[in-house]
Amino acid sequence: MTARLAELWRSMPLRLALLLVALFTAVSLLSLAASYGFTQRSFEQAMRADLRQDLAGFRAAPNARAVAALVEAESREADPNRMVLSYIAPSGRIFGNGAIARDEAGFHIISLDRDRAQYDGAYLSLTDRLHGGIITVARSRAEIEALGGVFLNILLISLLPTALIALSGGLVLARRSKRHVEVVGRALDRMTGGDLGARVVVGPRWSDDLAQIGGKLNQMATAQEASVTALKQVSSDIAHDLKTPLQRVALQLEDLEGKVPPDSEEAELVARTRAEVADMGHVFQALLQLAQVEAGSARSRFAPVDLAQVCQTLVEVYDPSAGDSGHRLTLEIAAVVPKVRGDRALLGQMVSNLIENALRHTPAGSQITIRLSQHAAGRVWLQVADTGPGIPVKERDKVLDRLYRLDRSRNTPGNGLGLSLVAAVAALHGAELVLGDNEPGLKVDLRF
Amino acid sequence: MKLLVIEDDATTGRYIAKGLREEGHVVDLVADGREGLIAATAGGHDVLILDRMLPQVDGLTLLKTLRGAGSKVPVLLLTAMGDVDDRIEGLRAGADDYLAKPFVFGELSARVAALSRRPQAMETETVLRAGDLEMNLITRTVTRAGQVLDLLPREFALLEHLLRRKGRVQTRTMLLEAVWDIGFDPGTNVVETHISRLRAKVDRPFDKEIIQTVRGAGYRIAA
Repeated sequence: MTARLAELWRSMPLRLALLLVALFTAVSLLSLAASYGFTQRSFEQAMRADLRQDLAGFRAAPNARAVAALVEAESREADPNRMVLSYIAPSGRIFGNGAIARDEAGFHIISLDRDRAQYDGAYLSLTDRLHGGIITVARSRAEIEALGGVFLNILLISLLPTALIALSGGLVLARRSKRHVEVVGRALDRMTGGDLGARVVVGPRWSDDLAQIGGKLNQMATAQEASVTALKQVSSDIAHDLKTPLQRVALQLEDLEGKVPPDSEEAELVARTRAEVADMGHVFQALLQLAQVEAGSARSRFAPVDLAQVCQTLVEVYDPSAGDSGHRLTLEIAAVVPKVRGDRALLGQMVSNLIENALRHTPAGSQITIRLSQHAAGRVWLQVADTGPGIPVKERDKVLDRLYRLDRSRNTPGNGLGLSLVAAVAALHGAELVLGDNEPGLKVDLRF
Repeated sequence: MKLLVIEDDATTGRYIAKGLREEGHVVDLVADGREGLIAATAGGHDVLILDRMLPQVDGLTLLKTLRGAGSKVPVLLLTAMGDVDDRIEGLRAGADDYLAKPFVFGELSARVAALSRRPQAMETETVLRAGDLEMNLITRTVTRAGQVLDLLPREFALLEHLLRRKGRVQTRTMLLEAVWDIGFDPGTNVVETHISRLRAKVDRPFDKEIIQTVRGAGYRIAA
């Protein structure tokens, strides 16, 4: 749950939605505060005008006694919750419905005495001197106070739903765009996995930018596919144009072999030529296969492969040959060897090429050891080590190049493509290939 | 057997036809896909030898059309590419076997023979015999002239494979595919060494050779 939330939080639409909500809230708060201020001020001004009006009424009285009488009369009429009147006559007697008299003339914000708490709340009062006494008129500010509540309600009613809607909209958009990004991601995964026919299927509700990225990706894949197809066409043309004559020569030589007397010099020549032609066929085959492996299309049929079983079979296949040439071939397999995702035939050929390489380039009596274990949890480590002459450090990279052969190997069989194929198959499977020193001998490490 | 060879390269086609005729087969040879399709649909052939790249109608298209029309004739596909993708594509289109160019005639001949006799007749046998050699598939013992031969499991499998196809040539690549499930050419003479180990136990102590070498092709158990 937390992980999913964290993932959603990282999505662009949700962040945008949150930003918008914050912005909207800030603007709404500001404008509400401003209108609250304005309304409050105009209420206050109206109140002051009313108070001045009230006072003006008392001023009309000719003397203090008349004022006192007026105040008394009006106090009886007035609701003290709304209006409070007070007149301190020159004699010191207090008239009115509340002790709110103030010394200084002018407006004050006042509270009623504690013992008259039922009238609690702020009042706005206006005090003035009149006929030797002090008159104070106060009106309740309850209406102005109530404004705060009204505005708070407006805030809750208007802002909260908007924020909630924007937020959930953002969440929906975020999840949708996440789904769309995942569609693009899956297509990309398939393309890198060698399936160049994979395309991003852009839905009608996709955002423009994502649809554009999807379109560009599809264009790129189409171009890539076209160049791979062109490459395939070229290799297949070469294969056809070179192998067809080679095929004729092979069949003609076979025919010729039947026509020359057996065990004659001619027969030996024909046999040698046939072997050469067969070698040429192998070189073509190896070059074509190398190009094929490097093109990476085999990735689309990767499946779990039990390398331990592959190695066991190959050791069994090579064991008599190794014995005949005076080599010792041993296999060491760890208790747990996980499967490797790959192409069984290519992995088999890779191991076979490594064994072949060791058999060819080490003298009789050499030990060839294949070790299979893990270099990290779930990661297979294959090692083919021999006790032969090894490969000089500066030549180790070159032997992986096509058709490269060490000087001392010129006279041993082989075409200089075996290790190139090992490197290509390793790269195809994302395995790290390292040629090292077995002290003495060559040590080939493959970490999947 | 009556065979149909569809091969656009005249020289290759001629040699294949000639070789197969010398082995006693009746061979029809056509050089393009359209004619090939007509000849193949006419039927009556035991095995079809089909080049993958053909003018007019391409080999794979021809094969798919033929299979689509319900033909079950065994097909050996010849191809210049010979990579794994190509092989998978060919088998998916309905080929029964597959041979990469350049091949030697013996390989072609052995594979044609293997195709024509599917399915095998001896699946239910429990004892296989060749001369005085006897293989009991239930007790997994092999005796020759009454003497028990001590074979390793893979030597047993190799001998069983040859015995089941008594009289028919098995090439190195066919044996690698069948006995070790290896679809590539390991290069050195691995099959030869396995055969010679097997011979050391099966043939050397006795007068008559049961495992025969067929020059330029492979091995077989004497019929």
